[in-house]
Amino acid sequence: MSESRFRAAVIGLGRMGSTFDDEIKQGGQFFMPYCHAPTYTASPHTDLIAGADPHAEQGEIFADRWGLERGRIYADYREMLESERPDFVSLCTTARLRAGIMIDAINAGVKAIWAEKPFTLSLAEADEVIELANRKGAAIAVNCSRRYNVFFTEARRMVDEGELGEILQITAYTQCNLSHNGSHAIDAMRYLATGDVEWVFGEMESDEKAAGEQDLMGNGYMAFDHGARGFLRGTPTGAAPWEFDLIGTEGRVRSLAQGMETQYYCWVPGGLRDQGLPARAPFPLPTKIPSTGLSVVEDLVNCIETGRQPRCSGEDGRKALEIAIALRESHRRGGQRVDLPLADRSLRILSGEISGDAVPARVRRMQRNQAAG
Amino acid sequence: MYRAAVIGLGRMGSTFDDEITRGGSIFLPYCHAPSYVASPHTELVAGADLHAEQGAIFAERWGLTGEQIYGDHREMLAAERPDFVSICTTARHRAAIIEDAIQAGVKAIWAEKPIALSLAEADAIVELSTRNGVAIAVNCSRRYSPFLSEARRMAREGELGELLQITAYAECHLSHNGSHAIDTMRYLVDGDVDWVFGEMESDEEAAGEEDLKGNGYLAFDNGVRGFIRAMPTGTAQWEFDLIGTEGRVRSLANGADTQFYRWVPGGLRDEGLPARAPFPLPLSIQGTGLTVIADLVDAMETSSEPRCSAEDGRKALEIAIALRESHRQGGRRVDLPVADRSLRILSVEIGGDAVPARVRRLQQEPAAA
Repeated sequence: MSESRFRAAVIGLGRMGSTFDDEIKQGGQFFMPYCHAPTYTASPHTDLIAGADPHAEQGEIFADRWGLERGRIYADYREMLESERPDFVSLCTTARLRAGIMIDAINAGVKAIWAEKPFTLSLAEADEVIELANRKGAAIAVNCSRRYNVFFTEARRMVDEGELGEILQITAYTQCNLSHNGSHAIDAMRYLATGDVEWVFGEMESDEKAAGEQDLMGNGYMAFDHGARGFLRGTPTGAAPWEFDLIGTEGRVRSLAQGMETQYYCWVPGGLRDQGLPARAPFPLPTKIPSTGLSVVEDLVNCIETGRQPRCSGEDGRKALEIAIALRESHRRGGQRVDLPLADRSLRILSGEISGDAVPARVRRMQRNQAAG
Repeated sequence: MYRAAVIGLGRMGSTFDDEITRGGSIFLPYCHAPSYVASPHTELVAGADLHAEQGAIFAERWGLTGEQIYGDHREMLAAERPDFVSICTTARHRAAIIEDAIQAGVKAIWAEKPIALSLAEADAIVELSTRNGVAIAVNCSRRYSPFLSEARRMAREGELGELLQITAYAECHLSHNGSHAIDTMRYLVDGDVDWVFGEMESDEEAAGEEDLKGNGYLAFDNGVRGFIRAMPTGTAQWEFDLIGTEGRVRSLANGADTQFYRWVPGGLRDEGLPARAPFPLPLSIQGTGLTVIADLVDAMETSSEPRCSAEDGRKALEIAIALRESHRQGGRRVDLPVADRSLRILSVEIGGDAVPARVRRLQQEPAAA
């Protein structure tokens, strides 16, 4: 572990950059601190030294909340990068600008980027960011945070150590737009199944949605390179909210109800015709439950020191986006299987979270309240 | 009492129940002869089988005389004039024997699955039975399970809200036990399949006519979506998961466990939580075979369709064939109905059917002794 502390700055001082943790009352999917500013403040590795946001209201709230002087809040992130020379930068702006800001941050010489998801809107943007980051040796962690959730990492450890046998199937019931929270769902499927997707079949919520570029819901079938198969339901899931089901020849792990419960089944003798039975056994509890955000920072510090890729890398972010786009392509082509990688890198999804991003949601609320008051 | 006869006196016709030591997906009596013997509606009057060894075992086991056992099913149909006929032969001859039985004037047919090998055969059976007013129940027996029929009641009466998804993990060949898996999905969802996408276990298997494993995505006409994994399922054996907006039923481990979840207030951001509640126990559990017979009696007497009709048998076969077509066409969605009615799957159970498995064993034993 490094003795020195890293200088960390946040770009985009809204919900994920600053106050998201206030909304969370139960653990499972997240453990606190989760979002960017509270994590940098709590981490032994980092000092939160600056923030940047074009909206002055966001900057003021951020400075008050996290004890920064007004001089450390910048309207222009380029100016911030130049004046503060941060080691860590968090990218919590609208996804519309994320690729451009990542490129500027890498060129400004940052060591590590902690980026919100989705990684980018288009495949071309993702390609450019990854190429530049590799060339300049900047570590990028994408905040598909289930990779930093101890229950998921324990499930993955069980896979890696063969405790589930050969992995056959990963099923996800995750109502979401495929770029926005779909980036979480698809990434968690890849993480748990441990393989890469070779081809997909997808059905989107409608032909009209599939024809456009707006973020959209859909279902899909995924063929992984090591033989596992995936089924994703991103259309409404009713009584099965945010569930992952990882099935192997010897064991099975189910993460239920947004991570609030994790079940483990192992194969035991017995059953009809002595074919064996799936018996529920206690899921191994972790010896401690680390905060999600602190785990990301820890991972990035390790990457800076060793040069390896973060657990959820830019490459993982690109692959989640590429799978989402391929699912939509499958629908566009009349329900045909689509092989990865995709040839047309101009394809993109306008992630659900960028709608109305000219003014951040909190600033809109403040303006409404002023008008009403 | 209806006069009942069995054609094909092997495992399903006679002794299958001896293998079953636990309830769940089926309850005893389950297979044909023991059900006819136990049912208050029927008496077992005859059997037919090409293989004399099978007939001798059957007569002894079920207390029939040698005259009640026939080598030729047509002769049996003409001499005994049964009301009920069970078709438990190899699937290779099922369609033809069903047609013979209908022409001979039987009132009800209890047929093993799959109903036929080809769509054309299935079409002929459905057409002929409809024209002659003969009730056909296909033995996709999960429709006669008290747990799955309770799940279906819950779905129909809105207790699960709007249905969204049916997932099946059922390692099987798509015609053989796939006929069970696909039929159960249709039964629980209470809808028909508009189109499918399928992936078979290999290009070679998909190109041939032999029975095969595969996975598929099913689009139902009521908006529900289905996923079936019939490739190996490891620790998730014979599982059905029916998901609605207000509730969910999971049938696990080949029917050994049934779980019910309902949506209750609470959870992260007060979006609600899926809480496990007791699955409603049936008031009584009778043998699966007895439920089939009661259903056929009701169908005969009221001219209604059996719970698992010939049409249901045809649809299960057609969906299996469409899944294979999807793979054959390079992985693209295939709309139903399938235009080419000559398409067929050589159900895995017909392998080596020139001599029944039991007769083969009998022939090997003296040689070994």
